[in-house]
Amino acid sequence: MSTDLVLTYVGFFMMGAIALIGAVLAVSQRNILRAALGLIVSFIGVAGIYFVLEAEFVGVVQILIYVGAITILILFAIMLTRGLMQGTTSGHNSQWLAAALLAMLLFAALALVALGTNWNVAATRVSSDLIPKIGAELMTTYVLPFEAVSLLLLAALVGAIVIARE
Amino acid sequence: MIPLPFYLLLAAALFCIGLFGALARRNAIAILMGIELMLNAVNINLIAFWRYIQPAAPTWDLAGQIFALFVITLAAAEAAIALALVIAIYRSRDTVNVEEVDLMKW
Amino acid sequence: MSLSVPDLNLRIIAPVLIVAISALVVLLGELVTSSAQKRGLGYASLVGLLAAGGAAMGLWDAHAVAFREMVRADNFGVFLTLTILAGAVLCILLSFDFTRAHRIETGEYYALILFSVTGMLLMVTAADLIIIFLALELLSLPLYILAAFKREDERSLEAGLKYFLLGAFSSAFFLYGIALVYGATGTTNLARIAASAPSEMLLIGAGLLLVGFAFKVALVPFHWWTPDVYEGAPTTITAFMSVAVKAAAFGAFLRAFLVALPALAMDWRVVLAIIAVLTMTLGNVAALLQANIKRMLAYSSIAHAGYILIALVAMGGAGVSAALFYLLAYTLTNLGAFGAVIALGEGERERLNVSDYGGLARMQPLLAAMLTVFMLSLAGFPPFAGFVGKFLIFGAAVQNGWAWLAVVGVLNSLVSVYFYLRPVVAMYMSEPVEGWGAPRVAPLVALALVLALIGVIALGVFPAPAIALAAGGLGR
Repeated sequence: MSTDLVLTYVGFFMMGAIALIGAVLAVSQRNILRAALGLIVSFIGVAGIYFVLEAEFVGVVQILIYVGAITILILFAIMLTRGLMQGTTSGHNSQWLAAALLAMLLFAALALVALGTNWNVAATRVSSDLIPKIGAELMTTYVLPFEAVSLLLLAALVGAIVIARE
Repeated sequence: MIPLPFYLLLAAALFCIGLFGALARRNAIAILMGIELMLNAVNINLIAFWRYIQPAAPTWDLAGQIFALFVITLAAAEAAIALALVIAIYRSRDTVNVEEVDLMKW
Repeated sequence: MSLSVPDLNLRIIAPVLIVAISALVVLLGELVTSSAQKRGLGYASLVGLLAAGGAAMGLWDAHAVAFREMVRADNFGVFLTLTILAGAVLCILLSFDFTRAHRIETGEYYALILFSVTGMLLMVTAADLIIIFLALELLSLPLYILAAFKREDERSLEAGLKYFLLGAFSSAFFLYGIALVYGATGTTNLARIAASAPSEMLLIGAGLLLVGFAFKVALVPFHWWTPDVYEGAPTTITAFMSVAVKAAAFGAFLRAFLVALPALAMDWRVVLAIIAVLTMTLGNVAALLQANIKRMLAYSSIAHAGYILIALVAMGGAGVSAALFYLLAYTLTNLGAFGAVIALGEGERERLNVSDYGGLARMQPLLAAMLTVFMLSLAGFPPFAGFVGKFLIFGAAVQNGWAWLAVVGVLNSLVSVYFYLRPVVAMYMSEPVEGWGAPRVAPLVALALVLALIGVIALGVFPAPAIALAAGGLGR
């Protein structure tokens, strides 16, 4: 095993563990604020996975938008709607057992397929000038979805203002 | 390279944890957190496939990364709408009672 | 670095573009209009929708792809585009006086409807899973807001939140499905997916896609959000959601499964047949138990999704054209039925209970007759559009060896007669209820009702031209 590969393995398991532990905290903590903190940890772990996969740009975007914007929105929503210091709880509903069973069943199915498939893997090296290429692709090949996303953001912006304004 | 199924198993685990959160939580914000985890799992899949799978056509080699960027954008839009809805409900009820929203009511 | 867009062809997405630009114009118009002038924004929306309809007709027989095969103009898409636009036009006609009475008359209301229509049109034109997904979100996000648009009404807000959470949840499944399909085939393009070898990964990806679609069109067991959302949302929005979302989502559903996954669709047929049976039966039986007419129509819309699914199971050209015709017939009929409910409202009060309809036949004979026609069409009586739609779907099922499914569909239609006729019976047999005056129908609402009525009768009496157009075909 080359050192590179060892480092990749170490990175994968470390980041994967962070992502999963954060996720478990996010769905299990009764205190919603702690759950949100777990969510942040999980997002950072996922960003780490992107770096391991050499998708640095997506990793940075993940940190900026998920950690920097989305979790802030979620924290805002929590703080604006409940007494922060009271440590209000948010439990699970009555069908949590069924939900857990369903989740495990789906995991088993997905895992079986992932392990059972004979992957036709192409171990291509990632070129170094990827980020300009992403920008160029967004403006050429993917210009239609890009515009659709911009409309989507505009609609969301207008909608959020309409609903939340006094 | 690490075998591809490692990433797929991680994504599947994250998706299923998020699924559990979305189905089992009472609080609307907590449900949204579960959904966000599910979206992250999708992106791990997309990026792993982008890295490992030969694209069907050479011009599509960045599809996975670009799709992941779209998903992240969408997640931000959804979070904004969720925040607006939660605040509006909070105002109209003048209470912290978001937990009353029971999704499984028939 | 020089950038050039491959296969730039704005003509193919002209209807989408026109509606998107109208949305932006209306949004800007909101800033410069006084509250008395908001009605003008509604008219502007109508102009945009009609212009988009004209552009769509110009695409008939165009058979072209653009933007590196991300969108495709075929007669299938044009038919659904026109269906969705017809639904949107009727919805806006119904909205003028409704929004004023309910104090939600703003430019954003119309702009969000137009954004949603943009997503719907893009969705039925899409030939790539990325576009299908983004279009699905573009049509959904405005609807979450519109469902919650009556902010002082808690039920409306709750409907919005519920619709949002369920929609976001189903999107996650849909996305996971797309990711697996991408992994299994190396592409998100529908035609290229069809060309790749089938695998287990593709199968499970298709299954997750199915879950996502099932949420959107409200198939059992992913239907439970429907009654609450339909009941809580403003009635005009409920009317719009019940028809236009179905047309757009079924369009993409049919295209994705018949173009990209024809071999897998064969494997999924038995599952889809079972879902169709459950959906029809549960929708109709639950509708029997409802006293609230919006909830009743919500369960009825679930049942209709089941009928349309039969067409998907039947597959082949007959199945596709039957589904298209049914979607058009259902759009006109259901908007007519909701339109009658809206027309009968008084200020902010609406006649939501079946008992509220007592004696209307004497007070408003014309309106009562119209509502009767729409209910009969929903139940599948000749000579109305609903009958021809059901006839085509059940015919396609029998023709392709699914006779038992057609029998279940016919039995379900018989059950549905009972609840569709309950308001009709109340109108003609019961005494008027206290507390309701004689309804006055606004001219634009009357126009919408007459247009829907003409459509329902024309499609029922002279179905041949529409059937021929519906058989225009799915480009591959």
